[in-house]
Amino acid sequence: MAFEALLAEYEARRAKALAGGGEKKYAKRKAAGVWNARERLAYLVDKDSFLESGLFGSSGVYPEQEDETQTDGKLAGFGKIDGRDVCLVANDFTVKGASTSATNSKKIAHMKRAATERGMPFVTLGESTGARLPDAMGSRGMGLLLGNDNTQFRRLRETPMCAAAFGPSFGSSTWLMCQADFAVMHKSATVAVSSPGLVSMALGEKVDAADLGGWRLHAEVTGLVDQVADKEEEALDAIKRFLSYLPSHCMEAPPDASVPAGSGADMDKVFAILPESRTQVYDMKRVIKCIVDQDTLFELKPRFGKSAVTALARLGGKSVGIVANNPLHRGGALDGDACRKIVDFLVLCDSFNVPLVLLTDTPGFQIGTEAEKNGAPGKIMNFMNAMTLLTVPRLSVIIRKSYGRAYVCMGGGRHSDDVSAWPTAEVSFMSPEFATKIVHGVGAGEPGYEEALANIRKGSDVWGLAAVYAAQSVIRPEQTRDHLIRMLDIYKLRMTKGVGQHLMRAWPTSY
Amino acid sequence: MAIIEIKSEITGTVWKLKAKPGDRVEAGDTLIIVESMKMEIPVLTEDAGTVKEILVQEKDPVAEGQVVAIIEE
Repeated sequence: MAFEALLAEYEARRAKALAGGGEKKYAKRKAAGVWNARERLAYLVDKDSFLESGLFGSSGVYPEQEDETQTDGKLAGFGKIDGRDVCLVANDFTVKGASTSATNSKKIAHMKRAATERGMPFVTLGESTGARLPDAMGSRGMGLLLGNDNTQFRRLRETPMCAAAFGPSFGSSTWLMCQADFAVMHKSATVAVSSPGLVSMALGEKVDAADLGGWRLHAEVTGLVDQVADKEEEALDAIKRFLSYLPSHCMEAPPDASVPAGSGADMDKVFAILPESRTQVYDMKRVIKCIVDQDTLFELKPRFGKSAVTALARLGGKSVGIVANNPLHRGGALDGDACRKIVDFLVLCDSFNVPLVLLTDTPGFQIGTEAEKNGAPGKIMNFMNAMTLLTVPRLSVIIRKSYGRAYVCMGGGRHSDDVSAWPTAEVSFMSPEFATKIVHGVGAGEPGYEEALANIRKGSDVWGLAAVYAAQSVIRPEQTRDHLIRMLDIYKLRMTKGVGQHLMRAWPTSY
Repeated sequence: MAIIEIKSEITGTVWKLKAKPGDRVEAGDTLIIVESMKMEIPVLTEDAGTVKEILVQEKDPVAEGQVVAIIEE
């Protein structure tokens, strides 16, 4: 056969490409309990659904490096997650630290383009050293490798983007984490602009990887990651779960799911979660868990801006985004971080046609010198602006306190399609204690204080809101789940088949 | 063994200590209750571990971000 030699070469090249950086390196990772890129992909996608693109790629800058740059260090291709097509890039750290160079940049761009133009989620699994050197060195290297694709970091939220980071994740892995709609970080990961080595060389500053870009920093301080994972499979499961709530692209409604047995069974206990005294706090997540479909609560940024809860969930089998105040932290007072987290989430939900449910119990925005130093007014106005740009159905429920500007931000008035309130709702410009001092000039312990306070408190009860039709319904707490399911159906976007206008699609991915 | 600093999320006054050095704590446990804005605001741990130090006493003023306890993971 004339072509036998060719086919033999094909098989030999294929085997070499699949071997990546070589058996030795893979074995070393395996011994350390670190998965390689192909193992991660195999776990992420439906069985045997990975179709590789660019298996025979190698260095586009140095042809003589062909052997040591199998796949050019980044695997690209298509797969299915829960039966739905996705575009994928997984970094193979065994090949030159999965550093970015010419061929693998083309692979990423190709996948992103396919995802964006044909409406598929784009998932990237990061682990990388950064730009490949000397490829990107000098003016020639820069001119050749950087800036030639002005869509590389353009985010118009046409399709959901997910990113994971494992181990060292400098350069592109970090950029992609920041741009993703969902970023999950394995606890081994360092997400940073540059490595600790480079930082100490350039600045003489001794830092360790955890301080520079460890999971605690990003989960608690920067808020750049949405979830943290102890195990490789947890990180990949989180991506699958996130995508299950979202459509494949912005022009369709999210997929429906069946309603798990037992959903709503705890509704008769929901009112008992509220402490009898208004000076005591409770965990709003317990209220949310009662209301939503059983085991569907998927919280984003749980360790950041904790006085707010942002979570995907399902109600009656339909995807919803939950935005809630959590009195357990700061009494529910919204600080700058909480505002940022909420706005990120509003943008996500509105861009991908996920209806919103707001649950309010907040004494207002955090006041004080720390808040002002943190630029609180700007963040509050971003929140306000985002609320006015929403085009998905949005329902709000006032559970307890709703004061001041936060009343409006949390969906008060025309900032929701429909406002309902529990009988425990209290709404006013500020908390009754402070209002008594300002309006009547008497403080706690002074003569006339208790009487004045009682009057002001009475004026803040739910009936005033209902009387002027600023709350369309006052509901018994145990009816909340059924009420919301019915209202979501009533307010669905019939004329566009559940698709919103995506007015925030170009909102910054972090700010 | 990671050392974790537990900070008060809010400015206020220490109302009650709910944990002492040597106590084993689980994620979500309350260590201290701070009185602020006429409310009882708990200082929680996000991580399980052993309480190494409690750095405040009842009636102490605390500032937002102040380290009030140390946990050893």
